[in-house]
Amino acid sequence: MDKTLNILLIEDDMIEIMKFNRTISQLQLNHKVIEANNGEDALKILHKKDELPDIILLDLNMPKINGIEFLGILKNDDVLKYIPTIILTTSSNQKDLLECYKIGIAGYVLKPLKYEDYVSKMEKLLSYWSINELKQI
Amino acid sequence: MSQDKIDMLQRALAREKLARKQAEKILENKAAELYEAKQKLEKSYAELETLLNKTDSQLQGVFENIVDAYVIIDLHGNILKVNDAAVSLLGLNDSNEDFNLLNMVKPTEMERVAQSFKMLLNTGSITDFSVTILTDKKVEKLVHINASIIYDDGIPVAAQGIVRDITLQRKYRKSLETEKLKYYNIISNMNLGLVEVDLNDRIIMVNQSLLNMTGYTEEELVGKHGVNLLPVDDDRDLLEEKINERRHGKTESYELRIKKKDGEVRYWLVSGAPNYDLDGNITGSIGINFDITELKNLQLQKENLLDKLAKSNDDLQEYAHIVSHDLKSPLRSINALVTWIKQDNEGKLDAVTMQNLHLIDVTLEKMEQLITDVLNYSSVGTNENEKVDVDLDVLITDLVKIMYKPDHIKISFLNILPVVKGDKTKLQQVFQNIISNSIKFIDKDFGTIDIDVEDLKSHYKFSIKDNGMGIEKKYHDKIFKIFHSLKKSKESSGIGLSIVKKIINLHEGKIWLDSEPNVGTTFYFTLKK
Repeated sequence: MDKTLNILLIEDDMIEIMKFNRTISQLQLNHKVIEANNGEDALKILHKKDELPDIILLDLNMPKINGIEFLGILKNDDVLKYIPTIILTTSSNQKDLLECYKIGIAGYVLKPLKYEDYVSKMEKLLSYWSINELKQI
Repeated sequence: MSQDKIDMLQRALAREKLARKQAEKILENKAAELYEAKQKLEKSYAELETLLNKTDSQLQGVFENIVDAYVIIDLHGNILKVNDAAVSLLGLNDSNEDFNLLNMVKPTEMERVAQSFKMLLNTGSITDFSVTILTDKKVEKLVHINASIIYDDGIPVAAQGIVRDITLQRKYRKSLETEKLKYYNIISNMNLGLVEVDLNDRIIMVNQSLLNMTGYTEEELVGKHGVNLLPVDDDRDLLEEKINERRHGKTESYELRIKKKDGEVRYWLVSGAPNYDLDGNITGSIGINFDITELKNLQLQKENLLDKLAKSNDDLQEYAHIVSHDLKSPLRSINALVTWIKQDNEGKLDAVTMQNLHLIDVTLEKMEQLITDVLNYSSVGTNENEKVDVDLDVLITDLVKIMYKPDHIKISFLNILPVVKGDKTKLQQVFQNIISNSIKFIDKDFGTIDIDVEDLKSHYKFSIKDNGMGIEKKYHDKIFKIFHSLKKSKESSGIGLSIVKKIINLHEGKIWLDSEPNVGTTFYFTLKK
């Protein structure tokens, strides 16, 4: 039996959030989605530490703290650095990709144009993390 | 008279007779002595006369053979006697010619000559007197004279002199001085700062340019240590090192930063060389300094500009990515929304609406492709990979194998493709783009695409020839421009060939084409070896 994941989705675009939620329900998955509209909000949620997510899905292009900065903050935290963080972005910029892997990420997924393709990608991603053993924090 | 008296008188007489005899004898002896002396005198006179003659002829010989001109004049300047050297110097016809030496003196020199003549008479001699004369043959000469008076019994009777022609000497000296002046002028007027220092690096000489270049006066520099005065603190060690090398005879050029009197820092190109004395010992060094501040500033400016350019290129690249992201995001959202409308209204929408929704999707795809292409175009040339040897034969044969091509089209290689230096991915993109263009535009039942290469001197010339629909002449330039697709279609954004051109330019090549409508098109391009 696959695990039910606690997923922190950090995304500022409303429709992207709708897409993710719709995908979860369309695929009839039981994962719990926590939404954060930007890095600051996400940090507030994470610093409570009472209910830390199993994985983080992170958009790179965000206002205020951008994705890469946020990633840096995460990886400097002794507790938070163990949470697998998957980048979800439009940017195929090699520089961004390299920088992210340098800081430390668990995946780098490009957002496709078509919704169907998006659903398919998310399905694979979530099923992968569902079968992974994750650190109990 | 008494006998006694007679006897006495007789005795006296006898004494007197004896005395006379004795006197006569003495006289006789004296006469003989005199004669002898006279004989001796006559002999010595003859000897003296011979000696005199000998000396006289010796003197005559000296007089004749002396290299310098020798002249004897009376006290009015009339020539009494001259030697051959004097004849030729004064331009006389022969040594017996009557001539007054004063007639030769240039009128402008008369005053000086009169004075020195007076001095000659008063003091008996003159030395080192130079005067310009005009010889008998009207040639102007500068002569040097040493002269003295000849006395007879204490009374001056004539003057003798040795005359030397120093015209040539003066000419040499003059030309030497002219040369010296010339170099002095060059040194003082040249744009290069000149400084001469001794072995202790004490400044001996500077030129005007150096004063202008430093803002110091000559008094402020001469005698001072250049090392302490001129270079900026950071360059002092460098200068000391160079001075040391120069002491060992090394000549070299180097850049140095110096501080002017007013504190302004200037860049100099210093060319230093050791200075030697006549015996070849190093006595110090000479430095020639050229102010290259403006040049240096330009260089620094250029470096800054390049840095800026690199940064602005990076920024542009970054900007292209952000714009592309920002443009793509809404497209994704529209796609999602349209999909949801379709999903949520399944079976409720009529065929026309479904068709329109499908058209929205198609348009979105095209839009996204366009954005991707623009991003690619702007990425060519940035993140430039290092150029490596690319075996085009392997690369393009493989490419052709995996490319989609309809069965009625045959792609052939007429020659083996060479190895070129370049970016592998980009070179593949060039071939892929042109070949797929050819495939796209072949309208014949049996299509051919021939790929060939020709070895030019510094480049390879490639050709890709098809028997497609051809391109009208008026479009030949246009097709390489961005957003100029000739055939509006879903799969062409009109950026492909402009990327190809950009890549070829990066490989220092050119691209052009030959084409005849309905017959076919040949694309040519060159790549640097």
